[in-house]
Amino acid sequence: MTLISKSITAFGSLLLAHACYSAQEHSALQSFRAATSAVLTSTPTAATSLPIDIAIETVVAILVILVGLVLGTSPLRPIQWREWAGKIEREGEDGFKDNNGQVNRDYLGNPFGFIEGRPNFVDIRKQRKEFAEWVKGQGEQQK
Amino acid sequence: MPSQQELDLQISPLVQESLAHNSRTLHNLQSLTASLFGISAGILGLESYSGFLFYLVFSLLTTALFYLLRIAPTALSSPASPTSKAGVLGRYFRSPLDFWTAGVTNGLAGFILTWTLFYGLVRA
Repeated sequence: MTLISKSITAFGSLLLAHACYSAQEHSALQSFRAATSAVLTSTPTAATSLPIDIAIETVVAILVILVGLVLGTSPLRPIQWREWAGKIEREGEDGFKDNNGQVNRDYLGNPFGFIEGRPNFVDIRKQRKEFAEWVKGQGEQQK
Repeated sequence: MPSQQELDLQISPLVQESLAHNSRTLHNLQSLTASLFGISAGILGLESYSGFLFYLVFSLLTTALFYLLRIAPTALSSPASPTSKAGVLGRYFRSPLDFWTAGVTNGLAGFILTWTLFYGLVRA
């Protein structure tokens, strides 16, 4: 997603820069023409407006940049506590990444982590069994 | 006796970090695009009311695009619960009015800055 949005934005900026340069050249040419015609024949020059193609290019460029930038915004997060906590439960860190794939700095993890990590919640029998198996494994490896 | 609004907040609390994150995302987008609108308004050589009208139209367009590309698709992947009456917008922003109108004031200063700059650069 981020590569798409970046390339769209870059393309739009290129169009915008080209339109800007064209408009600048156009106005420079107009003022040059006005100066020379004033010297040669004192005919009044027509009112000079921007050529339609430059105007169209500018508007298209700004629309393209707009789409690129909107696609590049980081994903929103639910503001309701229950939806937010449910999203954390379901997706974990994956739901809280920005466009570069980095987990956001203000992601603190499960809001109920302090409850689930209480010493009362530790399954001591299971841990003892795991420890016993680990010790057995060590003994077999050493033989 | 707490008011109805306070009761609602107690029953379904809000996450402050998510609120701040969402509005910051929208604010960044709007101030960035506002200066780009200024550039194009300067290139087009708009003056007085037409320039401000250009800004108004495009900043509303930005918000609409943001809604279409960022908020509306999430309704398909996870439909809003039937109890929430605010719809899919209410899942990410507190007040719909704020969402639609805050963008106009967010970027106005940046818009005028780049508008006058590019008007001067192009027409010099």
